[in-house]
Amino acid sequence: MKTLRKRTTTGGQALWTWPPVAFVFVLVVVPLIFVALYSVGLRSNIPGTKTGFDLANWKDFLFGPTNPFRALFWHSMTITVVVSIAVTLAAYPLAYFLSFVARKNRYTLLLLVLAPFFTSFLLRVIAWQAILNENGVVNSFLMWTGLRAADDPVTWLIYSNFAVVLVLFYSWIPFVALPIFVVLENMDRRLLEASEDLGSSRLATFLRVTLPLSLPGVIAGFVFVLIPTTGEFITPLLVGGTDSQLFGNQIQSFFSVSPDWNYGSVLAMTLIIVVLILMLIFGRFLSADLRDTSTRSAR
Amino acid sequence: MTAINDLNRRQFLGGALGVAAGATALAACGSPDAPAPVPSGSASASAAPTASRPPISAESGKLSILEWAGYEAAGTKAQTAGLTEAGSAYTKEFGPDGLAYTYIENDEQALQKATSSADFDIMHPCEEDVKNYVDRGLTQPWDLDLIPSAKYLAPGLMEQTTYNGAVYMLPWDWGYGSLTYRTDKIAAADATGWELAWNEKYAGHISLWSGAQTNFEIAAMKLGLPKPDDLTDAEIEMCKAELIKQKPLNKFYWDSEYGQMQPGIQSGTLWVAYSWQDTLVTMKAAKVPVAFMDPSQGRIAWFCGFMLGANTANYYHAHAYVESFLNKAACAQMTNAYAYGTANTQVTAADVTDKALAESLQISDLGALTSGKNHLQSYTANLDKITKAWQEVKAS
Repeated sequence: MKTLRKRTTTGGQALWTWPPVAFVFVLVVVPLIFVALYSVGLRSNIPGTKTGFDLANWKDFLFGPTNPFRALFWHSMTITVVVSIAVTLAAYPLAYFLSFVARKNRYTLLLLVLAPFFTSFLLRVIAWQAILNENGVVNSFLMWTGLRAADDPVTWLIYSNFAVVLVLFYSWIPFVALPIFVVLENMDRRLLEASEDLGSSRLATFLRVTLPLSLPGVIAGFVFVLIPTTGEFITPLLVGGTDSQLFGNQIQSFFSVSPDWNYGSVLAMTLIIVVLILMLIFGRFLSADLRDTSTRSAR
Repeated sequence: MTAINDLNRRQFLGGALGVAAGATALAACGSPDAPAPVPSGSASASAAPTASRPPISAESGKLSILEWAGYEAAGTKAQTAGLTEAGSAYTKEFGPDGLAYTYIENDEQALQKATSSADFDIMHPCEEDVKNYVDRGLTQPWDLDLIPSAKYLAPGLMEQTTYNGAVYMLPWDWGYGSLTYRTDKIAAADATGWELAWNEKYAGHISLWSGAQTNFEIAAMKLGLPKPDDLTDAEIEMCKAELIKQKPLNKFYWDSEYGQMQPGIQSGTLWVAYSWQDTLVTMKAAKVPVAFMDPSQGRIAWFCGFMLGANTANYYHAHAYVESFLNKAACAQMTNAYAYGTANTQVTAADVTDKALAESLQISDLGALTSGKNHLQSYTANLDKITKAWQEVKAS
């Protein structure tokens, strides 16, 4: 194994890193500071409103006995975790198929999997409306086959939790399959041969060798879904009903409709804190280079 | 740990602290983002002398307009919904390219966008929010001398948009809000009052609008509360509970009239929806069997109009634009296209082509706005409590 030569750098060289760091700082950290100030009442979006340090909104959100936003937060987290687990479970066989079964055609098939994602996310969600609507593709098919009466469409296909989970599931499959595929592709196949040579069945080889070695990709894929989905609002906005809006929709609503940015900022800060915690938890399991698994040193 | 890591961390933390300190100082200095409010009763609310402004030739002519979908000037690519006269005089003279529209879906969102940006030249809110726009310093009075059609606008409506002698909103369109329902799906006996939106027989086929104040007015009217725009805290709680009860019966709360609500009624997904009377016209044209309910508790009535941005750099263009909407031909065509009433008193029953519709909606009679049991939407001092309660309804 090659040892990296230790290098030092001068202050002049380090200066080159400052433009992008400053850029991120100004566009991420400064807005976060503003949101934090709104959340504790130190700023107001309404001209003429008196400002002052006030934790009333935080207390209401965290400890209010019947606070609906807290209940919505847990509902959203449940949807997020369900989607993340379902997508990861479904993406694994896809990645496995591409890497171990498709062989020569794997990159062509991978391109086909990714092809819809070269179009706008918004358009893809709207396309689902056409599929799931009461007069959409699915219901029309059911009526054509006689499985449903013409005036009795399946109503829960759209504007429901089902629709939100389905569209999120579809949206994230390739992004989870990719990191798993990368790990499987770079796995040392001699380990699998050795396992079988030593008498393990294909299932045992998968469970004892393939799956453990692919876990970095699985965790990366899981995190790729989990973190963005916590703040998701476009999908529920377009295919969700009144009872299937997520926490992100509520934040968007506070900032775009309600005059109360201060309360919206409490919800936004909550989400930011949750995402930071998730990153801290899962970050330690992730390698910057998914190909850099322990299998490489065995080559 | 390598030297490169040590060096970067030190440098990074040092620089980061500097940027953070600067950002905090920036964030803490001066709180409100928008210009200082102009008290609605103050002397500074009067119009600035026209002579002190640069001439129209010195203006860019690029108008930023806060508008509802469907109200774009005739002659622009965006105008596809039916206005063929309104705005046409402006686009013929100045061309359509300088007009940029920012769309709004409900009154609270309009106020929010106006407050957040404060850079609109023209805004199209409704009467109940005029005081909020004035108090927040988002608007300035119109110069009526620059708008020939202003003298034909209904004085009764103008009075309600005048503060300290200055006209802040030029009324243009008025109408009703009620429930449009599919007559082939809803029993006539069920369509007698606002309680239709609470009828569990039609669960999953109902859609109220996303407007906070409007929904609280609907709940207040259903509950028989005497002042739907002046609710006490206890009454807000009652209305909130009523709306929470109604929430699961909705397919969704609609935001877009043309993108969600009207297609929903037409396809049969929605059987009952809050709407304005233009939906009746559109659905009838599409041969969809619908009716626009006349609730036992009364319809909601409204009027909207044009406000001039406080910081507009296109003062004369803005006046020319609004005149092109307020003239008789534009108002008459708007009435015939959307079945809305108009504030221009030159438009009479003789100008309305669909006499039966005009009769049923009384669109040539301004008195209908406040007559009988109709509730004319008006300023509510409790808007912040109502919008917060509405957020709680949506989250519940």
